[in-house]
Amino acid sequence: MSAVYGLYEDGDAAQIAVDALRAGGVYDNEIVVISSEPMEDYEFGAIDHRSRLWYVASAGGVLGCAGAVWLTRFTEIAWPLSTGNMPIVAWWPNLIVVFELTMLGAILSTVAALVVTGGLARRVPPLYDPAISTGKILVGVDSPRDRAAVERAILSAGSPVVVR
Amino acid sequence: MTVDLDRCTGCGACVTACHAENNIPTVGDEQAARGRAMHWIRVERYWDGEFPDARLKFRPVMCQQCDAAPCEPVCPTYASHHTDEGLNAQVYNRCIGTRYCANACPYNVRFFDFFNPQWPKPLDAQLNPDVSIREVGVMEKCTFCVQRIHAVEIQAKADKREVKDGEIQPACAQSCSAKALVFGDLNDPESDVSRLSRAERGAKLLEELGTQPKITYLAKQTQA
Amino acid sequence: MSHPAHERLTVDLLRPLEQTSWRFYLLVAFLGSIVAMGLGTWLYQMYMGFGMTGINMPVYWAFYITNFVFWIGISHAGTLISAILRLVNAGWRRPVTRCAEVITAFALMIGAMFPIIHLGRPWLFFWLVPYPNQRLIWPNFRSPLVWDFFAISTYLTGSLLFLFLPMIPDFALIRDRATGFRRRAYGLLSLGWRGTTTQWHRLETAMQIMAIAIIPVAVSVHTIVSFDFSMAPVPMWHSTMFGPYFVAGAIFSGIAGLIIAMASLRKFLHLERYLHPVHFENLGKLLLMMSLLWGYFIFAERLTTWFGNDVGEMNVFYVTQRGSFSPLYWTMVVCNLVIPFTILALRWLRTIAGCVVASFSVCIGMWLERFLIVVPSLSHKYLPYSWGHYRPRPVEIMITVATFAAMTLLYTLFSKFVPIISIWELKAGDHPSSELYPAAMHEHSLGETRA
Repeated sequence: MSAVYGLYEDGDAAQIAVDALRAGGVYDNEIVVISSEPMEDYEFGAIDHRSRLWYVASAGGVLGCAGAVWLTRFTEIAWPLSTGNMPIVAWWPNLIVVFELTMLGAILSTVAALVVTGGLARRVPPLYDPAISTGKILVGVDSPRDRAAVERAILSAGSPVVVR
Repeated sequence: MTVDLDRCTGCGACVTACHAENNIPTVGDEQAARGRAMHWIRVERYWDGEFPDARLKFRPVMCQQCDAAPCEPVCPTYASHHTDEGLNAQVYNRCIGTRYCANACPYNVRFFDFFNPQWPKPLDAQLNPDVSIREVGVMEKCTFCVQRIHAVEIQAKADKREVKDGEIQPACAQSCSAKALVFGDLNDPESDVSRLSRAERGAKLLEELGTQPKITYLAKQTQA
Repeated sequence: MSHPAHERLTVDLLRPLEQTSWRFYLLVAFLGSIVAMGLGTWLYQMYMGFGMTGINMPVYWAFYITNFVFWIGISHAGTLISAILRLVNAGWRRPVTRCAEVITAFALMIGAMFPIIHLGRPWLFFWLVPYPNQRLIWPNFRSPLVWDFFAISTYLTGSLLFLFLPMIPDFALIRDRATGFRRRAYGLLSLGWRGTTTQWHRLETAMQIMAIAIIPVAVSVHTIVSFDFSMAPVPMWHSTMFGPYFVAGAIFSGIAGLIIAMASLRKFLHLERYLHPVHFENLGKLLLMMSLLWGYFIFAERLTTWFGNDVGEMNVFYVTQRGSFSPLYWTMVVCNLVIPFTILALRWLRTIAGCVVASFSVCIGMWLERFLIVVPSLSHKYLPYSWGHYRPRPVEIMITVATFAAMTLLYTLFSKFVPIISIWELKAGDHPSSELYPAAMHEHSLGETRA
């Protein structure tokens, strides 16, 4: 795969580059912007669909809750031992375990979803440039359809073209 | 069980018998001074009044085998649980030694094995083969001599008859010279222990805590 | 985003990772030896028998449980600062969050050791885990100790993840500047982080979710620890107030621990540019507030007990107020109320040094408070014939000291391998938060889907 990109000094320059790419016919979801800080005060930092992590977390919570209810009920019925005149399936204390496992389900599913949807822990390293760590912002296209247009846009925004 | 405080002389035969029957080690004077003596039944001694009119009151206290035992729900491994016969069982093999049951017991009748038990010769020849020896790190307490209960029940079943009232004698009841300790079946309204439990001067220890103890203490009659 | 300032920030915050002085090695060796002695003491205790401790009938819980509750309490620092301040968008939290989260993670790990250390047969601790086994037995879910297991496991997992997630971009930063083995190690830790807009969004959303999730977990953890006491019919334990009381006490001791940690870092890692006196002032005001809250709970508990005049409870009440525990009791009151209030209420005393002094006082006071909850009640239960007393033995003191050394050691080692102030979060503070710019509500930015 080949990628074409430029490195820009700050958010303003990066915004110009993104706009130039759009003018050159590149679609928004083809533009790659990589930075060492979240650039949420710039328009390009908002290019993304609504995060579905909340639903994943809720689903994980429900799974944890169901699992805990099953665990406590099933084990208390499978080996019924009377303690302190309490019922065999004692729902008051079980609620505590249910709560904890619900939260654990939500937390673990959130982290798992982050790793998956954030594209972390991938075998083949995708596009990256170590200059980003010095504060530069990478704006480019991965496998561009119209390479010349992309290169023109990058140059026009003020950065030498880098091909990876 | 009922304990007649009027009859108890504080002789301590019950304590000795319990040690002998249940393989309870003596811990030595240094450990006993540090509060680690393991007397599954102990005779509590209280002074009443001032010298020279001081009077002594004795109260033997052992596991009350509570129906709503606070020691049972707190054990994480079910080592302390309630049997169908109504006893509070202590399963040594499941005990991991959190000692929560001992803290929850308001009667302080649960004991912890701080060290592996030692019996200096020739005391080791006196050990009861019917009772297991507890290793370091587990809790133990009065079982109402469950080995004797089971032995009699098994014998009765083999003989195809009911257990007779007074046939099961825990070591403490058996050795009490004043016959202050009476053991029996509380489910049988005609047994000695049931009739004594219904006596006027009967009361339960720390009843207000809601533990529903099974042992009734018959109050000492006041002197004329 | 002035470049030179950010570059300087990076250099300053990565300096502890890149430069090591002989003082570091000396400190690690010293702390490591104390920790090793503590471990050896524990092995000695396991080998010789639990009788080597000062535990007896009726005081079956003492130092180890005190330490357990104390360390779990300290662990509430991270959650309060990180999660709550993150949720209310308090900007001053940025340099402080990681210091706090690290305290949580390590304090939890140390605190979680104590339920194992205090067991009579610690090699069987795994019986609290619900797994199918040959014994055909499951743990007793009615037991507060099993609740402890679930609560602490959940909180530990949650805190470690809450700590780890924002470290990922910083690991990427270090990876890019490192070479050789360090590059590969930090590369692994950074999970291949790049910094695309999608990744930043996901990360920030995940942090938001985690912050919301971790707060109820933290509250539940110390409540459940308090249930270890309040579920038992012991005089002055069986109180309905223990849940909130313990949580307030936990946050109180947690903030104190955080102030001490931050002040130490500021001094030894030369972070004066990043940890400002205003941070300590703010935390100091929080500490003052928690001190007053703690005082309120103590007052409510003591007044209710005194007014109720229950025989069993009054024995414990007087033995702490006037009897053999009274020196410890009044020391606790002075350390938790008088000293912090005096220092933190007067602005000219509320300096960094003042806050640190107040925090040490609070740590001592809160440790004593845990001790005074556990031991006086157990030594004076309902039957006076079996009242007892407790004196700690060398094994317990050694293990207690070793845990303080372990905490310091873990913290020192952490600050050597991970930047103790979150670099990207500090830089991101220059960018207004996304709340000011609504996320792509209408998905016009996406354009056509990929062919």
